[in-house]
Amino acid sequence: MAFKRLDPEDFVVSSNSVTSTVWSNNTPSLNTYFTSSTQKEGTSGPYYLNVYQTASDSDSAAVQFQIAYGNKNGGGGVNFDSAVPNVSATTTIYGQYRTLVLEDENANFIWGTTQTGSANGDNDFYVISPERARYKQTLFPGSLNLSIKSANGVATNTFIELTDNSNMVALPTYYGTQRAYQIISGSDGVSYDGSLGYDTLVGSYGLFLPDISTILLSAYALDQNSATMGINLATVQTADTFGDNPTLLYDAISSSIAPNLPTSGNVFELNSQETLTSDFVFIRARNSEYNYTENPSFISGSTGEVIFPYFINNPQTFPTTIGLYNDSNDLLAVAKLSRPIQKDFTKEALVRVKLDF
Amino acid sequence: MGYLNNAVVTVDAILTTKGRELLARNDSSFQITQFALADDEIDYTLYNPNHPSGSAYYGEAIDNMPLLEAFPSELQIMKFKLTTLPRGTAKMPVLDLGYAAITLKQGAQLAITPQTLNYLGNDQVFETSGYSATLGDVRLTNTFAGQGIQTESAISANANATETLGTNVSKTVIGTQFNITATTVNTLFGSNSQLRTTLTVTGLDSGARITIPVTITQQSLTLTA
Repeated sequence: MAFKRLDPEDFVVSSNSVTSTVWSNNTPSLNTYFTSSTQKEGTSGPYYLNVYQTASDSDSAAVQFQIAYGNKNGGGGVNFDSAVPNVSATTTIYGQYRTLVLEDENANFIWGTTQTGSANGDNDFYVISPERARYKQTLFPGSLNLSIKSANGVATNTFIELTDNSNMVALPTYYGTQRAYQIISGSDGVSYDGSLGYDTLVGSYGLFLPDISTILLSAYALDQNSATMGINLATVQTADTFGDNPTLLYDAISSSIAPNLPTSGNVFELNSQETLTSDFVFIRARNSEYNYTENPSFISGSTGEVIFPYFINNPQTFPTTIGLYNDSNDLLAVAKLSRPIQKDFTKEALVRVKLDF
Repeated sequence: MGYLNNAVVTVDAILTTKGRELLARNDSSFQITQFALADDEIDYTLYNPNHPSGSAYYGEAIDNMPLLEAFPSELQIMKFKLTTLPRGTAKMPVLDLGYAAITLKQGAQLAITPQTLNYLGNDQVFETSGYSATLGDVRLTNTFAGQGIQTESAISANANATETLGTNVSKTVIGTQFNITATTVNTLFGSNSQLRTTLTVTGLDSGARITIPVTITQQSLTLTA
């Protein structure tokens, strides 16, 4: 017999979590940032801004993440139609994420415990979306380290480091079926001093949504001055005005690597997480099995005699390959050993084959 | 007294081209139920039963040889299967198809009935489980079918064997007799007068294997014995 049936106990399913950086070339921290004027001035420009790791006209350029800005009242964007006020690209972005995250057209985003943003009800936010090609499944909570600095000259060297609070809470907040963590001032999933990591009167810096690989940053929190833990970002919320807010945040992220900042500020670290499900198949060759081979070099001549008389009573085989078949004898998967295993009537072989999906 | 080698070796498997095809079907055809071992790459002439240092060194030239990584083509791997035979076997099972090569003109038919020599002390020449036959490029035939094995798995396998809409894929059928009808599609030939592929037949009990070339031509039927 050449084929041997596998028993149910020969199969084991195992799941393992694998994490890796989301940036190109497995760079742990993104340190250089570029945009494309072509994209910015194109039809997608009013909605989002692509950020590259190198000059966008370089052969190796790849979009790392996008920045968008959403405003409930349409501020910071030009109205689609002058006859319809307060409906602009920023309203579209806001509605998109409200449906996606809150699943309720009447709900507001809540930063921290109760804060919804500025008193005028803008409830606005920035969106950082890692490019889909950069990750496989979800973002890895606790891996976010993002430094930003006001670049508009309003503040004097105002600088914060943001992370999510996943290592400070036992359970995440759930929006529908997806997890959400508050974005706070700190690093590696915890605040610096064990506090909440944000001003309770302002609210958190946003929401970290690993399951949809999205980071929402509260514009209200970033617009605060240093006394209330903001960076004076000066988000443009004026109605029917192109505020170019994504570029504002882009400048705040890219300028945070200016040489006059602390070394620790030179970061945008973010990891992704993937659950790999593996099938383990145990291949067992008993001592009496698989001791002969149809290998042509095992046979002398065309009539099938074994090559050495020694092999008649002491056959030796050297399996190198394991084939996994279905009932129809279709070869579905194949595994190669790193070196031959010697097999004879005095030896048994046990090999674990790993199939990843 | 034999000893049990309990060191578990872990190896990563890759899907074959056929495996990907069946996985994409999203039906029950991608279901691993059995395995086989093969010793592709091994040259047993390197085994030296006259080694001056004794039997521990007979396989010295093979033991530590580096192996190639797996090929995804199911036609290029698992060529030489290991088989389970009674101790004392002096002759290995050998397949005989009756032809060393097949040449068919367009639309011509041929039935092949494999026989296994040296199997089970020559008590029988047909294997109980039958044979699997794999045609390298199913486009070259109008029909390629197996018959003679009535087990549920064989019937299912033959019923669900790959059909093609023009892609170069292999087809495997099971039986004790295989019927081939050469293609009548002229466009396959292009500017060529012949099309070529291979037919691989494997004994499901013995593991014996033989591959012969198949040529489809516009010439009259000729068979080379």
